[in-house]
Amino acid sequence: MNMARRILIAVLALLLAPWAIAQGDPLVEALRKYQAGELEKARELIDLAVQAPDHATDPEAWLLRGFVYKDAYKSASTTTLADEFRDEAIVSLFSCMGLDSAGTYRDNAKQAYDFLTRSYFNDAAKALNEMDDVRAVHMFEQYEDATLKLNPDADLRLRKIEFKNALGTVFTKRFNMDRTNLEWFDRAVEAYKEVIAIDADNYGANYNLATLYYNRGVYNIQGINADDEIPTILQIQEVSREFFQEALPYMLKAHDMNPTRRETLLGLEGIYYSLQDQQSSDKFRELFEELPPEEDR
Amino acid sequence: MRYLRILLLTPFFLFATVPQQPRDAEKDTTAILQANYIYNIAKLVEWKDPAMRTGNFVIGVIGSANLYQELIKQYSTRTIGKQPIEVRKLPRTAEVESCHILFVGRADLALLPDIYKRMANKPTMVVTEYEGALDDGAVVNFVKVENLLKYEMSLSNAQKHGLVMGLTLKNLAHRVEE
Repeated sequence: MNMARRILIAVLALLLAPWAIAQGDPLVEALRKYQAGELEKARELIDLAVQAPDHATDPEAWLLRGFVYKDAYKSASTTTLADEFRDEAIVSLFSCMGLDSAGTYRDNAKQAYDFLTRSYFNDAAKALNEMDDVRAVHMFEQYEDATLKLNPDADLRLRKIEFKNALGTVFTKRFNMDRTNLEWFDRAVEAYKEVIAIDADNYGANYNLATLYYNRGVYNIQGINADDEIPTILQIQEVSREFFQEALPYMLKAHDMNPTRRETLLGLEGIYYSLQDQQSSDKFRELFEELPPEEDR
Repeated sequence: MRYLRILLLTPFFLFATVPQQPRDAEKDTTAILQANYIYNIAKLVEWKDPAMRTGNFVIGVIGSANLYQELIKQYSTRTIGKQPIEVRKLPRTAEVESCHILFVGRADLALLPDIYKRMANKPTMVVTEYEGALDDGAVVNFVKVENLLKYEMSLSNAQKHGLVMGLTLKNLAHRVEE
């Protein structure tokens, strides 16, 4: 039993002592079951308790419900159940803090609430690692909602940048696996542009967006084969030119931010080369060749 | 004076801009486009010399390893008319063997004055990629126009090599020199 749980049980046991006389009070019974580690029974009882007129607006009841569901979340056998329990825990802890005008339970409730909020973000990151973008987006929305619910002025920009950059990378990987599915390309562009809208100087988003556009243009040209005739070649080039032109300002921006990065020098060399601007391409190739090895960071 | 432009350009190309690390062939968009253009051009040109209408259709490449690779990868199993395409990577020398199409890349422009002399009146179409190439004797020259790769051609040079350029080829060219 961890320290927070011990303290919580001790506090609640003390506060609920007068109620304990009343046989069959579901709140008291729920606490007993919780103390005994019988989470499932504790859940049933605490759900009954918060519906009872005596406890519906009782912050103690909502705090206990929050802890019961938080522990149920941690020991849930499936992800679906865990998600469900965590959502209930968040709602309960938030209710507790809303009803607790004296601030008696605020520290305990907030500590648990913050833990659960962080777990949404961690799960979003885990889902991205598993390429599960749907769950990742849902978890991140839950994280945002939970954070802003408690603190409407919270600054989530850094977290959003971190998440959207990683999300863009997942969409890019998906697009690279199936380049006929342009939905992934569009979603990757959207993710990176969201980052740039928040932070125009974000190196990763600028570089990744430029690379995404550039690769799309190259991929278009790579699709040329012996069955394509000259008019088709011209059309394909015109389409690719648009992607190369889209890529250029973002790669230039990334290069301006860090002029000694090999990846941006090569990126610009490639973009200009594909735009048939040999002189500019050569210029960046020379800058790349001149770079001493120790500058490769 | 005819080749002055090439001679002036040569040091620049040979020493200043040739990349030390070759470009990844898969991302060499110019090589991909040039290979397709060469294949399509070959289909739309008639070689008057009967000797050129039998055997393999030979495309020689000097320099431009990526163009050579692309031609091998995409077009070496194709035919021009009934002639199977044969792509040859030629050594960097002006002593070139006979072929239907000879491409000389920008890294080897210094060889061109001699190549033009050697190929004079022979049924070989010289294709290259520098400004003013048609004036020097090339039949087809790749040009960069508004960020696109296009080609220009010289009908008089074609005639000197016994080549009849098709109407479609003329219509699609960026510029046709009569």
